[in-house]
Amino acid sequence: MSQLVYLVPMFPLIGFLINGLGRNVLPKPLVGIIGSAALLASFVVSLLIFNEVRTPGFSAVTVNLFDFIHVGKLNVPFAFQVDQLSVLFLLIITGVGFLIHVYSTSYMHDESPSSYARYFAYLNLFVFSMLLLVLGSNYVIMFIGWEGVGLCSYLLIGFWFKNADYNYAARKAFVMNRIGDLAFLIGIFWIFAQFGSVNYADVFSQARPGASAHVLTGITLLLFIGATGKSAQIPLYTWLPDAMAGPTPVSALIHAATMVTAGIYMIARSNVLYSLAPATQGVIAVIGLCTAILAASIAIQQNDIKKVLAYSTVSQLGYMFLGLGVGAYTGAVFHVMTHAFFKALLFLGAGSVIHAMGGEQDIRKMGGLRKFMPVTSITFLIGCLAIAGIFPFAGFFSKDEILSRAYAHNPVLYVIGILGALMTAFYMFRLYSLTFAGKFRGTHDQEHHLHESPAAITIPLIVLAVLSVVGGWVGIPEFMAPNAHVLSKFLEPVFANSHVAAPPGEIAASTEWALTIGSLVLIIGFCTWGYMKFKNFTLAEVKESTGLAKILENKWYVDELYDAIIVKPINWIAGFLNNVVEKLGIDGLVNGVGKLVQYGSRQIRLLQSGQVGIYVLLMVIGIVVLFVLQLFFPNLI
Amino acid sequence: MNVLILSIFWGIVMMFSGIALKKKGIATGLAIAGVLILLLGNLGDMSTVVITTSTFNDMLAFRGYNVLFISIVLVATLMYFLVSGREIENVGTGGFDYYALIFFVLTGIVIASSFNNLLMLFLGIEIISIPLYILTGSDKKNLKSNEASLKYFLMGSFSTGIMLLGIAFIYGDSGSLAIVPAPSPFGFSFTSLPTLSAVGALLLMFSLAFKVSAAPFHFWTPDVYDGAPTVFTSFMATIVKAGTFIAFFRMFAGGFASVQGSWGLAMQVIIFLTLLIGNLTAVFQQSAKRMMSYSSIAQAGFMLLAIYAHNDMAKEGFLVYTAAYVLATIGVFALLSRVADPGFQGFNGLAKKEPLLAATTTICLLSLAGIPLTGGFLGKYYMLVATAKAGGPFWLVIFAVICAAISIYYYFRLIIAMYFKEGNPEMAPVSRGLKFWLVVLCVLILALGIFPYEVLLNNLLSL
Amino acid sequence: MDVLLLQAVKSVATADVNSSINYLPIVLQLLVAIGIVVLMMTGTHLLGPKRKTEDKLKNFESGIDAVGNARQPMAIKYFLVAILFVLFDVEVIFFYPYAVNFRALGWEGFLAVLGFVGFFLVGFIYIIKKGALSWED
Repeated sequence: MSQLVYLVPMFPLIGFLINGLGRNVLPKPLVGIIGSAALLASFVVSLLIFNEVRTPGFSAVTVNLFDFIHVGKLNVPFAFQVDQLSVLFLLIITGVGFLIHVYSTSYMHDESPSSYARYFAYLNLFVFSMLLLVLGSNYVIMFIGWEGVGLCSYLLIGFWFKNADYNYAARKAFVMNRIGDLAFLIGIFWIFAQFGSVNYADVFSQARPGASAHVLTGITLLLFIGATGKSAQIPLYTWLPDAMAGPTPVSALIHAATMVTAGIYMIARSNVLYSLAPATQGVIAVIGLCTAILAASIAIQQNDIKKVLAYSTVSQLGYMFLGLGVGAYTGAVFHVMTHAFFKALLFLGAGSVIHAMGGEQDIRKMGGLRKFMPVTSITFLIGCLAIAGIFPFAGFFSKDEILSRAYAHNPVLYVIGILGALMTAFYMFRLYSLTFAGKFRGTHDQEHHLHESPAAITIPLIVLAVLSVVGGWVGIPEFMAPNAHVLSKFLEPVFANSHVAAPPGEIAASTEWALTIGSLVLIIGFCTWGYMKFKNFTLAEVKESTGLAKILENKWYVDELYDAIIVKPINWIAGFLNNVVEKLGIDGLVNGVGKLVQYGSRQIRLLQSGQVGIYVLLMVIGIVVLFVLQLFFPNLI
Repeated sequence: MNVLILSIFWGIVMMFSGIALKKKGIATGLAIAGVLILLLGNLGDMSTVVITTSTFNDMLAFRGYNVLFISIVLVATLMYFLVSGREIENVGTGGFDYYALIFFVLTGIVIASSFNNLLMLFLGIEIISIPLYILTGSDKKNLKSNEASLKYFLMGSFSTGIMLLGIAFIYGDSGSLAIVPAPSPFGFSFTSLPTLSAVGALLLMFSLAFKVSAAPFHFWTPDVYDGAPTVFTSFMATIVKAGTFIAFFRMFAGGFASVQGSWGLAMQVIIFLTLLIGNLTAVFQQSAKRMMSYSSIAQAGFMLLAIYAHNDMAKEGFLVYTAAYVLATIGVFALLSRVADPGFQGFNGLAKKEPLLAATTTICLLSLAGIPLTGGFLGKYYMLVATAKAGGPFWLVIFAVICAAISIYYYFRLIIAMYFKEGNPEMAPVSRGLKFWLVVLCVLILALGIFPYEVLLNNLLSL
Repeated sequence: MDVLLLQAVKSVATADVNSSINYLPIVLQLLVAIGIVVLMMTGTHLLGPKRKTEDKLKNFESGIDAVGNARQPMAIKYFLVAILFVLFDVEVIFFYPYAVNFRALGWEGFLAVLGFVGFFLVGFIYIIKKGALSWED
């Protein structure tokens, strides 16, 4: 079965081609069916492959499709790697992706047929790229998927391209990603230069402890910079909140199933390299933690329902990087999985709300939606509980695993991490409270139109809600029930090498119990605080915020900071280059060369007189000169 | 061996079909059948299914590289017939006779690509040249065609004389006409030849340089290419050029490879002049046909780099370059021979009238200019890397790159005329079959650029 | 080497075959040949009497007055026949070496020559069929 892995990305590709090429002829229902069916088929194949990979003793399989690049020493096969890690991602991407597709059939229903088809074509291409990214058996294939994901995010964020702001957002996402991509690309070059290959198997088998530590540090840092672009970490995270310009299901896709998890995947995949580069790991842990705290603090003061969720994603990604930084690869991947469930749930729930509110996204103008939209409300609540990390919802287990490993690494990391988790609990319940609790604060007209969303929207919500509850049970920590961490066993072969290189620290079960219960109590407290504080919120309370609140509302002025220290100087330099260097220097040079060529052409042309006698004479002169040169001055040049 | 015999045989068949069958229309079909038979025979050569194993006392060698090269030539000839068949029939009076001549040229090319003996080299080159004099003058009513034929003949005999003189010098010095008594040619174990042989080698080089139209022996090229019927210009600029180049390659990258001290400098100068004159002069031409003839000079400059470098990379690259250049040039000439006005203005607005034809021509031009994803890019890349690897003069590599940049200018003039200028070009009707084969041609060019190993080079490894 | 006898002494020649001194006789011969020609030409030119009359400078065509320009176009058929004659004439020349080695070459040689003649025959048939030898149009 694993030999058929190429089917997984093939279905979305076919879907993309059909929908993309037939966008002007296919009827809308058919487009939706094709788009969703492609994902469903991929999901089924992934399940079958998973079934094979699940058996104990399965070792990674490489499926060679064809020779992609073969130049000199560089040999890049177009090959897929099937192992525990890639299969897990396959399931997340195709499973959650399928639900999002189904959801989209209803959510995007107001679009014209051709742009509806365009939407689904992009969506399928997006999934295809992501599948390529996780399936590739070398860094080049991963990079192709990586770029494809970047492209699709650009296309989808700017899907409503008639709005200039949305285009700016799309461009910002693209540029931010390109900065990261450059570093990633240089990293790949360096890997090739160092190991003579870009295949995972070759690279990882050659990476040994003590071997050129500074080189490994350099490579891993470059790869990590690439990851900060895709996975929205400091300093390249600012595109993700702006990416809310795209349709809400796209946000769900970007945040939950694809794109932002690419960076996590890449580092988890390269875990062998990272385990040998502790300096990089330290950087990752610190950056991840800073991002987690910074984004969480911003989320507290945001009023746009999608912006809150966006910053919460940035924050959760920070936790994943913290996990990668402290060597908790399983924990990070675990969190990717649970996060995919509840973040997709939250976004799709938010989409449902926005749908019902007729496009309104300001949570201050919502409230009391609980009685209008019971399914959305309950599933959203489950999502909030899961992200806040309340037992026994999915987020609890994964976050707990990362934080306990952080504790084993350094208690300071743990304390700051908990601080972020408390903020998460607070802002999520602020969001829930403002949206669903209290009284409705919108216009009368809006209230009239409030309704529960259709089945195509609610069913994915319910499925995701169930997953958000049970999804964490595959990773029950050791101290609660011995040998119950199924996921860790499953992923063991992938991370075995790095566990040898950098064995995970151990902490006593009693300490774990104490930490877990203590943090759980605090989190529940913050949840309640957040909920109660905003339950009876009225629009009258809205006033100009001051001090810290204002800073938070303006997202720590990071965008403005980037503008001042990067964009403005670059603009100035570009202006200088354009007006002075280009106009005077390069144009002069280029035009000069052009003129010279034309002049030479005019002169040489005259040699061609059309008279045979002259031709032969010139030939004889040529022969004589060449003879003299070759026979008497053979070493002239 | 098969191809040699079959090509002679089919040439005679074509001759007599012209007498026996009065209908001109089937000439192309018969010729295509002939090339297919030749290709089959060549397949036999590759897998040692041969009519006879005779090598004429080691004067010819049919193995590995040559055979693959011949198959490139044959495939190119097939494409040429498919694309230009109608035009060949329409020139002058005897479609069959011209086809017969083309088959005889193929015979010459087969000999020129597999000779082991200077006598055979001479024979091959002459068998290539003489039918060409006739083909050049085949448009008997046209003064320009007659003039071109006479010029070609006069100067061609001049270069033939030089070649014979060179062979005589070498024979006189070494007492042998064989070229590959390995490990060192002619029994000399030095990096340069004794003076008499060196003079002979240089004379040989000059005459071969004439045949491949390298500067300063290129003067015949523009006049002859311009005067000959366009469809035969296409033949001369592509298949014939490839055939003479393989002779050059075999002689200097094979036989004389180890004594580069005796000819390296002259070759560098020739490459430099060829690149310079070919590219610079092409810039100023007003006629696309004449531009293409200078372009063929310029491309020859690049191909000469392979001879200068003569390492493994150069060998691979020479195949890629030849295949890409020949196919692309056939594609461009297919359009040229159908446009009423061969000047650049004759192409204005062609993209609106014949979008597909404009597109295929554009792909061919891009390949000639060496834009990535096309075979032409890969060929140029190979040439430059091979030269650099051979420790060739760095300035020459840089100069070649600059020339490649200049070449973009004149190739794009045609593209600009087709796409961005207004006009209503007069042209002969274009059949669906032609369009189909042009698309096939472009697919081949692109495939060569993207999968060179699958399309071509893997065969080299297996031989 | 005895220069006067224009003959290389054997011992010298065997000692160094490639020495250019061996070619000296050829050079001498060349010089003598050129010298004689120059001597003859200049000698007759200087010694002979010079009488220039109109009749003497006239074109001479078998005693008849010259009519028109000799370089006028004539039918291509003359050239065609002449060229074809040369072609088939040269064919015959190849029979001489064959005749000399007739017995030594045996049947294989016979077949080869037969092939050679066969090719010419094919060419000949082609020429006739093409009408290259028919004088009237």
